[in-house]
Amino acid sequence: MSERTVLVVDDSRIMRNIVKNTFATMGIPCQFLEAGNGREALEQLEKNKVNLVLLDWNMPELSGLDFLKKVRAMEGYKDLPIIMVTSEAARYNVIEALKSGATDYIIKPVNERVFKERLSKLEI
Amino acid sequence: MEKYIQPFVDVCVNVFRDFVGAELTPERPHFSNKDDLNEWDISAVIGLTGEARGAVVISMKKQLACHLTGTLTGATHSDLDEEVVDAIGEIINIISGNAKRGLEEAFRLVISLPTIVKGPGHSVQWPNGQARIICIPFHIFESETFCLSVAIEASNGA
Repeated sequence: MSERTVLVVDDSRIMRNIVKNTFATMGIPCQFLEAGNGREALEQLEKNKVNLVLLDWNMPELSGLDFLKKVRAMEGYKDLPIIMVTSEAARYNVIEALKSGATDYIIKPVNERVFKERLSKLEI
Repeated sequence: MEKYIQPFVDVCVNVFRDFVGAELTPERPHFSNKDDLNEWDISAVIGLTGEARGAVVISMKKQLACHLTGTLTGATHSDLDEEVVDAIGEIINIISGNAKRGLEEAFRLVISLPTIVKGPGHSVQWPNGQARIICIPFHIFESETFCLSVAIEASNGA
């Protein structure tokens, strides 16, 4: 995989670092952009070419789910891989996110094995 | 209400094992009163709404909060700084979100963003008329403890 740009969206800086470190441990070459909520993530998308979004659900200002719905309604973003990375573990949450356009769904806490498994399914 | 507590116990044990690499020993849950004095330095609160209402609170001493944060950041923390607040908020967020799975047969829940209260002997104000508060003490590492408090009842009063 050549170097890709991954947008990590989470209101917890510690979680953003854990996600980035997990990618580094897996040896996946990528550069990271970060956002602390959905609004900041939209700004990052407008300014940058992004290959993958890792998206928390519960965030201030604009939630992950609302961000997801907005992005899927935008021209040219229908196929952008967006993986929810969230503590929201109830099946009704998973279904709602997938119906709203999430590419995949990872329940926190994250680990390398799950990331590897899910990323191997993506063509990014 | 007691039947709703077990998912929180199970999830707390699993989250600490998977997220911070620590084994927990849960003690016997007990009711606590809204006015009980507490001995903790930091609490993280998540509100529960939807088909039930209540709150989930994790409370601990500064030393433990700093230790847990260090396992996540790889740095040393000696005060209840921004990263400690972030870490303890994320821990209660992950516990609450995962507990929803174990409660989904009973009701659909919405969890709030975490709120942090800190300071020696701080108090968390629980609304009057809400479900009774159950405190689940946990032992962690060699001699440290923390408390997970849960108050939850169905919105229709069941």
